[in-house]
Amino acid sequence: MKMKKSSLFLSTSILAAALAGCSTGGDSGSEDGTTTIEFWAAPNPTQQVYWEEMAEAFEKENEDIKVEVSPMKESPTSEAGIQTAIAGKSAPTMSENINRGFAAQLAESKALVPLNEIEGFEELLQNRSMEETIKTWKFADDNQYVMPIYSNPMLFGWRIDVLKEAGVEEVPKTYSEMLEAADKLKVKFPDKYIWAKPDLADPTAWKRWFDFFMLYDAASGGNNFIEGDQFVADDAAGVGVLQLLADLRERDVLLTKQATDPFESGLGVFTDIGPWTFSYWEEKFPEMVYGETFDLALPPVPDDVSTENVNTFADTKGIVVYASATEEERAAAMEFMNFVYSDPENDLTWLETTKLPPARDDLSSNEAFTAFFEENPELKPYADAIPNAIPSIDNAKYNELQTHIGSMAVNPVVEGTTSPEDGWEEMKRAIEEELNK
Amino acid sequence: MMKKRFNGTGWLFASPYLFYGVIFFIIPLIWSFYLALTDWNLIAPVYEFIAFDNFIEAVQNPGVQAAFFVTFKFMGAFVPMVIVSSLIVALVVHGLPRFKGLFLIGFFLPYLASGVVSSLIVKGLLSYNSSINVVLRESFGLDIDWLNSPLSALLVVAAIIAWKFTGYYALILTAGFEGINKEIYEAAAIDGVSAAQRFFRITLPLLYPALFTTLILSIGVSFGIFTEVYQLTGGGPNYATNTWQMEIFNQAFTNLNAGYASAVAIIASIVTFVAIIMIRKILEAWGKRNGWV
Repeated sequence: MKMKKSSLFLSTSILAAALAGCSTGGDSGSEDGTTTIEFWAAPNPTQQVYWEEMAEAFEKENEDIKVEVSPMKESPTSEAGIQTAIAGKSAPTMSENINRGFAAQLAESKALVPLNEIEGFEELLQNRSMEETIKTWKFADDNQYVMPIYSNPMLFGWRIDVLKEAGVEEVPKTYSEMLEAADKLKVKFPDKYIWAKPDLADPTAWKRWFDFFMLYDAASGGNNFIEGDQFVADDAAGVGVLQLLADLRERDVLLTKQATDPFESGLGVFTDIGPWTFSYWEEKFPEMVYGETFDLALPPVPDDVSTENVNTFADTKGIVVYASATEEERAAAMEFMNFVYSDPENDLTWLETTKLPPARDDLSSNEAFTAFFEENPELKPYADAIPNAIPSIDNAKYNELQTHIGSMAVNPVVEGTTSPEDGWEEMKRAIEEELNK
Repeated sequence: MMKKRFNGTGWLFASPYLFYGVIFFIIPLIWSFYLALTDWNLIAPVYEFIAFDNFIEAVQNPGVQAAFFVTFKFMGAFVPMVIVSSLIVALVVHGLPRFKGLFLIGFFLPYLASGVVSSLIVKGLLSYNSSINVVLRESFGLDIDWLNSPLSALLVVAAIIAWKFTGYYALILTAGFEGINKEIYEAAAIDGVSAAQRFFRITLPLLYPALFTTLILSIGVSFGIFTEVYQLTGGGPNYATNTWQMEIFNQAFTNLNAGYASAVAIIASIVTFVAIIMIRKILEAWGKRNGWV
């Protein structure tokens, strides 16, 4: 009997311990009137340190709010980590590192708070000078679910040293100029390619941001691809992009085989480049010098499109507030954001530590950033392009839709198994079918 | 008639595993069945019970159909690769006069290596501008697109996993070799049997239990491939390396279709279970027909 009791006690203790381990614990409110908000930073030490410093400074001025910063869980991806946290009722109050497509998925599931419904949002936009930038972030239901932190207008890098050797003096701005450069390159360097990018043959959804959407946004003048549940893409621009890929393939200047550092090694002379690349190059490829070995340019456009104010894809992420947050937590989250973004110095610190351009309208004109861009001239083109940068589509099915762009259009065209027109039509049919599901 | 008595101590010792099993296997399994009958994505406050729609959609989906066939293609490439290589390693180690344990540990080490790291190394080795490919192109005129061609992509992934498991299976097979009485070989030598006869009439029958184990284990591995495919090919080209795990991952965590992914996971479990049972029966019948069991 004694054994029965002790085993029952032990079993109960183990179960209790196990369940306690599963508990998320913590109540945001406390008896002394302090509101605690949980902030998940992107899973990299640089951003985590930045947010910890911001939280510390904020708490000094706002003793009634405590901000707990922790890195976002990657299990196995940060999106999956957020999804499981929401499902397990352990979502934080707010988090950064959310792209527009994922935000659309979360918003459709009512997992996010529309920021425009929290008092202080308009003030935040004014204080940070981002009333223009935020317009392209509006979701199909007219709400703003994401407070964009940074906006990387993706640019193309050109190996000007190799191009010069091949007799190309100016960076190509139009499709014709690009094809002309391809012909010259092939004559001088038969083993080199214009674009060495294995991702072109890969249907993975996000990879389309860094090839198809850069070219499409430029060719279409920023025309939407999807609006709500409607496919509204500019057919001529889309087919034109695919035709460019087909033309490059025909000239044997498109390499889709896996290659190691193709741009840095000079195997390819054209590639998409984000600002994060430069820190990597400083360490691993010091020979990559802006203006000497490479130059940055907006995407090439069809011959009949203006080469001024060219649009490009914006790789951009921001902050969201989760629907599980209480009213007090939502208000505290907005106060925290207002604190961080009311001072351009905080954006400058962000820029200095991450090299990611803050999503501000005045990034290239505000004096707070002038010295930084003088010291880092390679980042200036990114700041200049922010107003013309188009964020990703805001449809909850963006993964499926972008996979169709790859598998039906981009991949078969670069493999030469379909024509640009047929590929576009197939893709369009698949996307419309997906949208009507 | 003896009265059954409650054995508290037995339950006490079994309780940690029971709790573990209930929390991490039984509840998720039941939950997964429930989820598969809904269109829930785990986070939406509202969802619908859609009966077997997810299952119907899954069997018609090209990704799921590909996963079904790709698994058997992997099995066809991986199982012979790993069995032959582990047999060779086991034979070599078995023949060593000393330090067998040390060599076995050496061959076992790849099993402990991270799939991510080994995949990235292979990716570098097979890249267009790697030394291997430069030599192949310039000396033999061979321009192989290792990871973008369906057959070579599948073989590359199978080879990496075979490399990883060879040492582990060699350990089992070496134990099998060590268990064979040397006097049998001596008697066979006196009777003048050939090397082939020795292998097929003595070694193989006596090694059968170890071989059976490694075959079943390697077949099981074929149904659970993920890391290498995720890192190297992403399931491509054109679903040529799309495994069950890739499909489940993409649906659950990329497309946020948890209900549908659960349905795919259940189909995958059923296919795995049925396939392993069938293959096991075939292997047992093979052993019985030859009088090895």
